[in-house]
Amino acid sequence: MTSFAITGWGLSVPDRTITTAELANRFGVDEDWILGRCGIRERRAVGPGQSTATLAIESGRRALERAGLTGKDIAHLIVSTATPEQLSPATSAFVHQGLGIAGSAHDVNAECTGFVYALITAAGLIAMDPRPILIVGSDTHSLTTDPEDRDLGILVGDGSGALVLEPTTDSWLMAWNLGADGARTESLKIPAGGSRMPTSEETVRQGLHYAQIKGNEIYLHAVRHTVGSVRKTLEMAKLEPEDVDHVIPHQANIRIINSIIEHTGLPPDRLITNLDRYGNCASASIPIAMTEALDSGRIKKGDIVLLAGFGAGMTWGSVLLRWGGGAT
Amino acid sequence: MGVPTLQDVTNQLQAVSGVEQIDPDVPILTIDDLDSLDLMEWLYSFQEEYPEIPADESLFEEIDETVTLRSIYERVIATVPS
Repeated sequence: MTSFAITGWGLSVPDRTITTAELANRFGVDEDWILGRCGIRERRAVGPGQSTATLAIESGRRALERAGLTGKDIAHLIVSTATPEQLSPATSAFVHQGLGIAGSAHDVNAECTGFVYALITAAGLIAMDPRPILIVGSDTHSLTTDPEDRDLGILVGDGSGALVLEPTTDSWLMAWNLGADGARTESLKIPAGGSRMPTSEETVRQGLHYAQIKGNEIYLHAVRHTVGSVRKTLEMAKLEPEDVDHVIPHQANIRIINSIIEHTGLPPDRLITNLDRYGNCASASIPIAMTEALDSGRIKKGDIVLLAGFGAGMTWGSVLLRWGGGAT
Repeated sequence: MGVPTLQDVTNQLQAVSGVEQIDPDVPILTIDDLDSLDLMEWLYSFQEEYPEIPADESLFEEIDETVTLRSIYERVIATVPS
């Protein structure tokens, strides 16, 4: 069966930096409290003229350049985002136009797990239609966060990361797992702006267009489901935690990441994290971390790379790759 | 079915939080270096160790400056199936 090779990667983050010191001042807490709570020193935020799509176009352009392709070569574009350019049409339509994509375009919204979902969706697509696919994770949660919300304000950052997948019979995909629990829709949500609660003067007055988080619930269930997903994926590949060379988790909060590492038994020295510099970039966090690791030469041919994410919904997923092929 | 003692629960919370000594009669919110994420980490470990006890995050709802580890423990015990 045709599988995929990853031939291009790229990231884009806004220049504007919001430091933890600034937020400590804004929220009236100690800088050390924020660092201890989430491990984030600074995060990026979009400015005028920037949006989910403009970041996605830039990361996508860099990934295409790296792969030596243009938009005309791309058969399918998948954009994972939970902070869309607008309610309709899909963000992928704007990215399609911006990159001159020749083929199809659609969005995936699995919140912060979106990129893992997009990757597995792309793996299925490329098996049926062996042509290049561009997947982009892009989010701008700084725009959906109440400026007075300390719990979310210390976490969120904006950014985008992209991968180009090309068909190969020498599979890179070793194993994967996706899951969801729709009973957890209250844990992290933006209540207004959709069909359930259309935007009105009242919803805006009440701030219901901003994200709301129950951080403790997210922590508990993110750890539980991500640990379970990683265990299933390792089992599917018949591997032990110590066989994994690199772990790239969703960069949500260092406390959650450390808990997942501890409970899965994955070696801590295999962890790739840039959380301290970018914050929680939602569905962009995994491809941004992956791009930095690749650009620094940390990931080498033959290495086993584990991606693991979780997000609102709740959703979760993990993917095991053998870099350079030879997965099966 | 094993049921933990208050000392078991105290030891678990000390282990996951790194707080050396936790007095179960001191209000939880006043304990230095212990925050809500530590409590969730403890709960996760507890649920893994005692899967038959249906304790969940509702243990920590309406937590205020009067709630102690002992009162949390009493909430845990109240969930134990008879």
